[in-house]
Amino acid sequence: MFNTIDEYLDALKDEMKDADSALIQDAQADAREHLSNALTASREKNPETSESDLLKKIIEEYGTPEETASANREVEKRTSPALDQTIAPRSLLGRFFGVYIDPLAWGALLYMLIAFVTGVFYFTWAVTGVSLSISLLIFIFGFPVALLFLLSVRGLVLVEGRLVEALLGIRMPRRPLFSHSDMKWFDRLKALVSDKATWLMLIYMLIQFALGTVYFVVLVTVLSISLAFMALPFIQLFSDIPVFNWGDGSVYLSYWQLTLFSIGGFLLWTIFMHIARGVGQLHGKMAKWLLVTE
Amino acid sequence: MTELTVQTKKFQKELNAGTSSLVLLSVLSRSKEALYGYQIAKMLEESGDIPMMKQGTLYPVLRSLEDSGLLESTVEPSVSGPPRRYYKITKDGRSSLEEWLEIWKQTKKFVDSILKG
Repeated sequence: MFNTIDEYLDALKDEMKDADSALIQDAQADAREHLSNALTASREKNPETSESDLLKKIIEEYGTPEETASANREVEKRTSPALDQTIAPRSLLGRFFGVYIDPLAWGALLYMLIAFVTGVFYFTWAVTGVSLSISLLIFIFGFPVALLFLLSVRGLVLVEGRLVEALLGIRMPRRPLFSHSDMKWFDRLKALVSDKATWLMLIYMLIQFALGTVYFVVLVTVLSISLAFMALPFIQLFSDIPVFNWGDGSVYLSYWQLTLFSIGGFLLWTIFMHIARGVGQLHGKMAKWLLVTE
Repeated sequence: MTELTVQTKKFQKELNAGTSSLVLLSVLSRSKEALYGYQIAKMLEESGDIPMMKQGTLYPVLRSLEDSGLLESTVEPSVSGPPRRYYKITKDGRSSLEEWLEIWKQTKKFVDSILKG
């Protein structure tokens, strides 16, 4: 527990270290004023009690550093939302390599891998569903099949939205789009077919196949090239395998050339992470545009 | 900490987020003289049996009310400790309070009627 006010203030500062510096200062000033006033008042009332015991009770009423920090952050968020997004200015180099600690960049990479699988699935589902529904419409049971298929599209889109939000950081819906559950099933089907959102969702499912494939191929290619470049010195030095063979001769690189390749591979991957992050954001915007109707 | 108390704490916090501004404005509107934070906290403590909010959560609300011009504050040195910041309600604050009270009455009526069923 805290024996002095300063200990509490240090703990509070620690708790708020990622907050705006002006906010930290305000919170510190308020806490100091309150705690010392409270301490003076309760010292007059209970002169026998030790300071740390008095302080313990005061802090119990005032709130732990954690509670105070969170209260400050909450109010700050409500009053000045723009502030919440300001990032401490970093140097150009810091920004370039900072991508390695950027969750959005890693999320985008993961999304690019997953998009290949989901893209294939969405495409298959959409093409099968549409052709099955249309061809079965000549029978009466074609209508319920079509309805079930279109409802399944809404469900899949909701799941895709969760993926996009989790990995790309774009706010997506948490509830499925209004699905007219109070209507008779035939009216429901009509409403779904005449709804623009349904068709935009199907378009997204088709596009995702192409995009997912491109994402996957590019990601794997760049990853292999970068890793190969970075591993080049180890391969030549430890296993004596030449960089490449030219006719009858083998080409070995000198140390500085190997170093250049290694650095080049690392830089290539770093640049690609920036690109992946950007592509992820673009993809998120597209998903929002196609899957979320206003 | 059990799931229940976490949820209850969260609920309490969300409720307080709206009501603490109203409570603070109302306390300051009734007081003839300017009050400093510790005084306000003590007054709130005395008027309720159960402590509804931690005293530390009042200060950011006071600051935000001052930011939006509903309160004004002056700093005065004190004999016993650091200078105290005295808060006073402004004209804007009083008219906001009137509107907020109306909203609060309606909200209370509405919630009560729903809860009664």
